[in-house]
Amino acid sequence: MQTTVRQKRIDEDEFLEMRKAVLAEWPTGKEVDLEEAVEYQRNLPASKNFTKVTEKLRQEGKTNIFPRAGTPVLEEEIKLVKTLVAAGIRHVPVTIDAYTRLHQFEKAQQALEESIKTGRPMLNGYPIINHGVKNTRKVIESVEAAFVPRGAHELAMEIALASGMTSAGKSSLFEFGSYEKKRTLEDCFKRSQYTDRLAGYYTERGAVISTDIHGFIPSGTFPLSVNIAGIIIDSLVAAEQGVRSVIPLLHFNGHMAQDLAWLKVAPRLLREYLDRFGYKDTIIPGVLENQIPLFPVPQNMGGAFAYLNYSAMVAALGEAQAVFVRTIDEGAGVPTQEAHALSYESANWILNVVRTQKIKLEIEGMETEERITEAEVRAILEKVLELGDGDMIVGSIKAVEAGVIDSPFCPNIHVKDKVLGIRDSQGACRYLEFGNLPFPEDIKDFHRQKVAERERAEGRKMDYQVVIEDFWAFSKNKIIGG
Amino acid sequence: MTRKPTIITGTVGMDAHVIGTKILSRAFRDAGFNVVELGCLTPTDEFIEAAQETAADAILMSSLYGMAELDLRGFKDKCREAGLDDVLLYIGGILGVSRHDFKDDEVKFKKLGFDRVFPPEADLKSAIEDLRHDLKARGKI
Repeated sequence: MQTTVRQKRIDEDEFLEMRKAVLAEWPTGKEVDLEEAVEYQRNLPASKNFTKVTEKLRQEGKTNIFPRAGTPVLEEEIKLVKTLVAAGIRHVPVTIDAYTRLHQFEKAQQALEESIKTGRPMLNGYPIINHGVKNTRKVIESVEAAFVPRGAHELAMEIALASGMTSAGKSSLFEFGSYEKKRTLEDCFKRSQYTDRLAGYYTERGAVISTDIHGFIPSGTFPLSVNIAGIIIDSLVAAEQGVRSVIPLLHFNGHMAQDLAWLKVAPRLLREYLDRFGYKDTIIPGVLENQIPLFPVPQNMGGAFAYLNYSAMVAALGEAQAVFVRTIDEGAGVPTQEAHALSYESANWILNVVRTQKIKLEIEGMETEERITEAEVRAILEKVLELGDGDMIVGSIKAVEAGVIDSPFCPNIHVKDKVLGIRDSQGACRYLEFGNLPFPEDIKDFHRQKVAERERAEGRKMDYQVVIEDFWAFSKNKIIGG
Repeated sequence: MTRKPTIITGTVGMDAHVIGTKILSRAFRDAGFNVVELGCLTPTDEFIEAAQETAADAILMSSLYGMAELDLRGFKDKCREAGLDDVLLYIGGILGVSRHDFKDDEVKFKKLGFDRVFPPEADLKSAIEDLRHDLKARGKI
């Protein structure tokens, strides 16, 4: 397939032309006045800047909570962000509803009106485009914290940044691999180049907008090397468009030695690749962590508290600047304000107590996990560069077609889905099926040995059925299925 | 089973949660069903078209994002209009936006025309048994 998108900065005149079409998509686009918005951003205090808040947490040696939250009605959204900030949160997300994410602005409008009328949230997030700049500034001005939209594409990002949000959280591989069914990676790159270019536009005028990057997130039990490679790819794409602050969003998988190893490897390799491609002035102010599902079922409140606190503890031990712990309502749906408050009160207890002790853990096996992951990430990235003849975007598109970048249980039909992950007998994530992941033989053998150890220990073959059992394990208060 | 029943699976609406419907599809296939797998982000009309084209016995919908109620208003009427009145309708997942009683979901979605409603923790094996039971009761197998 011929791709037209390249790893190349969008020319400013061309970008300003592209913006006109984007802003015309919905009436609230008219509320965006870019030069006024740049000025508004430049006057925001450090406490509202995502990069500066992250840097400050690192300097102070603190781990904060970075939740996900959004509700359709404006007054309720303001109450919600006040609840979050009262719980000590300084990175405030505005999760956008699924209709808006998928360009169904009319439907979002109807559901918003129905939510207002019935007093019941009918959307799973905040319809930022329907609310527009004026309303969204009310949300941001209601508290002292740095804001970031979750799930914003072009127009949503225009409104978010013009409203005073200071991180353009967006990732092509994340969108492609977790939210879209038919959209191509090429298209996702084009959309990210737009939002990255927008963040770059603000940045070069003195208002630093970071981007926080998910990469290709693992669905279920799956080692993190594909994810980390994706974070590096998306960061390079952002940096080319002028982003000067990138924040990796890593994903826990529940095995402590691996989770801590990944926390060390990812920023180190990201720095190396940014430097290698000449983006030396793009900083990494910190690392954020994410707890992954599957979460204990709604009735298992004890398990829900334990799992979120365990994740908080690993983030604190790994000295992450913030961690996304899910709330006790995760298994039940979108959390209530009470569920947010209670869950973070609990996680904060762990974060404070663990960070104060300045614990430096030496876990057996952690160095091996670092070495293996590093070799895997490098193998993927070098293969991507080879396929793209030095162009990270062209290479990534070809890599997905070839299964060099692959993920199990993926919603997108363009992903090969020829890989599987499984837990070993100590609960670490291993590859069960490698598909076309370009790993050296000795790395593959390491995984095979670990899988074989579990087969011997359990006296059964490791196959798809066991993968599914592992998938449910955390919901059943265990790390290994069966 | 003497006759291989056909079922349509997928996650309805603007919902990208796909893992559940993928696992469910494979489990039903392994249990001897003919499974037409539509994946995530599937509009209601696609379920209806697929059921018509394949003369399906049942539609097994998933939804995790809490907005299924909006997506499924009028769905049963559309099924009737399409001549699919006797196609069994099952739905499972997280069926409301915030914490709520599953019994409310059951009432709400039965009113919307679903034959069975499953909570997030539903067991796959018993769901397979439920479908076999319902198909037998209708003389389909």
